[in-house]
Parts: sequence; C-alpha cells; structure tokens
Amino acid sequence: MIAVHDLTKLYAGRMAVNHVSFQVEPGQIVGFLGPNGAGKSTTMRILAGYMPPTSGHVAVNGHDVFRESLAVRRSVGYMPETAPLYTDMRVKEYLRFRGELKGLRGRDMRRRVGEVMELCSVTDVRRRLIANLSKGYRQRVALADALLHEPPLLILDEPTSGLDPVQIRQVRELLRSLRPAHTILLSTHILQEVENLCDRVIMIHHGRVLADDTPERLTARLRTLTEVYLEVRAGTQAVADLETLAGVRKVVEEPAEGGWSRHVLRVEPGRDVREDVMMLARERGWELRELHRRLPSLEDVFIELAAAEPARTV
Amino acid sequence: MRIFWVLLKKELRTFFVSPMAYIVLALAMVLNGFCLRAALSVLERGPSEGSIVTWTFHAMWFWLSYFFVFPLLTMRLFAEEKKMGTLETLFTAPVRTWQVIWSKYLAAVLIYCMLWVPSGLNFLLIDWITAGQVEMPAGALKGSYLVLFVMGLFNLAIGCFASSLTSNQIIAAVIAFTASLLHFLTGMFISVIGRKVSESFVDIINYFASTEHIRTFTAGLIDTRPLVYYTSFALLLLAFTHQVVEYRRWKP
Repeated sequence: MIAVHDLTKLYAGRMAVNHVSFQVEPGQIVGFLGPNGAGKSTTMRILAGYMPPTSGHVAVNGHDVFRESLAVRRSVGYMPETAPLYTDMRVKEYLRFRGELKGLRGRDMRRRVGEVMELCSVTDVRRRLIANLSKGYRQRVALADALLHEPPLLILDEPTSGLDPVQIRQVRELLRSLRPAHTILLSTHILQEVENLCDRVIMIHHGRVLADDTPERLTARLRTLTEVYLEVRAGTQAVADLETLAGVRKVVEEPAEGGWSRHVLRVEPGRDVREDVMMLARERGWELRELHRRLPSLEDVFIELAAAEPARTV
Repeated sequence: MRIFWVLLKKELRTFFVSPMAYIVLALAMVLNGFCLRAALSVLERGPSEGSIVTWTFHAMWFWLSYFFVFPLLTMRLFAEEKKMGTLETLFTAPVRTWQVIWSKYLAAVLIYCMLWVPSGLNFLLIDWITAGQVEMPAGALKGSYLVLFVMGLFNLAIGCFASSLTSNQIIAAVIAFTASLLHFLTGMFISVIGRKVSESFVDIINYFASTEHIRTFTAGLIDTRPLVYYTSFALLLLAFTHQVVEYRRWKP
C-alpha cells in the first residue's frame, strides 16, 4: 500500500526526513511514533501528495506521489495535524463541499455524508458553524472528511490530539473497526495508543527510522530500562547487598533526610526483583518505606535509541 | 471542470457570508453616487463637450473607489487559506492548482462586476427622472463599462498575485494597493512633468495611462490596445500566481 524508498526531504534548510525507507502492507494499522519535530508530519505530507520528496521514491497504492499526485490524492484520506477547516461553513455543508471535490454526487453523497457524520459522532452538530465548535469536534469533522470518499489508505496526523479520554477511546474504536477495508498510517506521541491499536510501530527521531517492529517486540525492548526505586533506613552495606541480588545490574544510592537513603536499581530485562528486595530487607532488618517499579516511558525509549544512533546534521 | 465550478461556488459563498462583500458593495455604491453628483454639477455649470457618462468616470471619487476596491476584494484569496492552513487540506484533495487559482480569481471578478451594477442603475434613474433630457450616448456607456471591466481584470490579478505572496491579509492588501497606485502614477507622469520629454516617450507612457484609457473609452472610442494591454498583463500575473502557489508546494 505504501512503499517508501530512501526518502529524504530538506525542509527550511534542515534535513527533516533523512534516508527513510519502509513498507506498509494493506490492512495494517501502522503507528508513526516520535517526538515533535521528528519528521512525522513531513513524511505524512509527502505521502498525502502535498509536497514532493527532495530525493527518494515514494509510491502510494502503486502511484508515484510526484508524477501521479492526483491519483495518490484520490486514494488517500489525509487529516493534517491541526485539522484546518473553513470556519465560516457549517459541518454538513463543509462535508458536502469536500465530498464534491472528491467526486461524490447525488445519492452517494447523501449516504456517505450521513455515514461519516454518524461514525465520527458529529451528527448532532451538523448545522453548527465550524467556528463555534470545540477542538474535539473540529478534530472529528476533519476525520470525517478524511473518511468521506472511502479511501483505501488513511493518513492521520495525530488523530487523537485535543480529544478528551472518552473521545480518544471512541476514535480508537472507530479506527479499529475500519481495519479490514482500510490501511491506516497514524502518527502519535502516546505510547499507549500504539500498544492498543497498531500492528506495527515505526519510531522516528531526527528524521531517521530508529525502530520498525511490532509493539510486542518493541515493548520487550523497552523493558531493558526497568528501574526499581527503594527507600530504606539501612547500614552502609545496603548497596553491596542489593547488588548481590540476581537480576540487578547496578545500584545508585542517593542520600535522603533523617538517615533514610534512596536506591535506584537497574534491572535486567524481563525480571521483577521487588519480592527479592522485600525478602532482603526483612532478612537484614532494614526499615522500608517505599518500594516501587517504574515502567519505562516513551521518553526513555527515545533517550536510549537516540543515544544509540546520534543524529547527523546536514 | 466540475471541480472548478464547485470551487467557484465556494469562493462566491465565502464572499457573501463574510461582511466583506457587503461593505465593499456599500462603499462602492456611496462613491458611485458621489461620482454622479460630481458629473451633474459639471453639467449644471453650462454646456460641456463631455456627456454625463464621461464626467461620472472623471470624478475624483471614481479614482478613490478604483483604489480601495481591488485590495479589499483580493487580499483574502490566498493569504487567509495560508494562515488557516486550509491550503493543505485543499491541495490534498484531488484538485489542480489552476482550478484553485482561476476559481478564486473569477469569483473576485464576478463580485467586481456586481459593484458596477448600481452605477448603471444610476444612469437609468437619471434617464427616467429627466425623461431622456440628459444626453447619454450608448457608445460612451458601452466603452466605459468595457474599460472598467478590463481594468478590473488587471488590478484584480495584481491583488490575486499579492495575496499568494503572503499569509498576512494586510500585507497582501498593501502590496496590491501600492502596485495599483504605482501603475496609475506611471500613467500620470506626463501630466505631472508636462510635455518636456520626447514625443515617443509620451506615447510609451500614454500606453500605460489609465487616465488616458478612461478618457478615450468614456468618450465612446473603443481602442483595442488597452484591451490587449490589460488582459495580457492579467494573464501574466495569474501565471505568476500559479508559479508562486506551486513553488510553495514544490520548493526544495
């Protein structure tokens, strides 16, 4: 459905996308994950036929994005990050206008406009001016627009930003229900969203692909960063004792007030050492007032992956 | 072609849901009224060689409306869509660049033509009130509206181009106004410095001179040179606009 080969984009004198290659198979939901400014939006704009690549080859649904831009745009439903809309139009009127541009007419038009308004739950605001709608509604009107012509490929730039938790869940359900017929490429910086929704994750940072894998395998990779926090009143032996535990790689001690001390345990992948720490504390008679495991956040992944492959500036 | 009509309909709609169309229309109507009043006061003073049509389009008020109308009608066209980001949604739909540019331009031209309807009604009204006593040559009427139309094509193309250059409507309006004014002043050059320069230079300058064009056309003389001049420049400016809009998308 999408074939990106050695894509590079110079944008505002900066290498926004740097030799990126990936493939997306039909029917997949693929998550584009990365911090702001990583090159997600630029890549998506190129895929949607809005701007051409500086170099490299990009094909969508078998059409080259540069030479067959119109064919690409016909087969893509694109939703830009900020969900720009004509604010002086009413919701239904806007969708009808977009439908006309995309070649819908007559009975098809009425049916599709009705359907997408239902799917995106904007039917109740169909007569309201877009200027008076909240961010959440605008986001969903833009999504309805992307779905309008039943494109085989949906490219959604942060489809859940600006939505409240209930709406986020609705949009996820909606996207999941589209899965068999539509291929979806969505960008996000919410790790949870990727875990819940995507068949595949492409991590991108400084315009480069850092990882391209299933969420399961990627989270397995994240567990290398598991840390256990511990606050005890113990003797000077504590660090040495903790380091003897199986699975603990490194212990860092930070003094705290009143004779307490904080320890940060870096733990091997796939291990949970909290019970062992508890046993050790009981054995040695330490006073224990805090013991918790910190699950890795997306930031940690980026710090780790970005450090492993430093960005080259051009 | 269908896409073009859809876009044109949308552009016209945008004019009429915003107060802009009504403000411009109202101002043009007031100034048209002043123009007519000025022409009547010329005729009141005694016999004159020009008809009421000639004097209407020679009034100072006419040039006032001439300059404010173009920036107001065109500043929005591209600048607003750029600022709102809707150009991105527009160009990710299967539309061609020329369809977008021509629909915007043609919408502005249509509104511009509408602005002159009240002035035509004014002439009809004079004719009716005075029971045909005031001389109103058909040639002068046809010539006047023809030259107004082609001058409109030219100046609206300037505005369209100015709007494609920026995402700020005020800047677009100022560029359009300045360009229109400079063009007008180039034509005025001769009447400012007098005829101290060579004959051929005067001829060249007169070729640009909007005031000269108005003079000949309102007298009922249809000169093809200004028609070619204005329409070809309008086409050139629209071609520039096309390049600017494409460049924003295709720039390296």
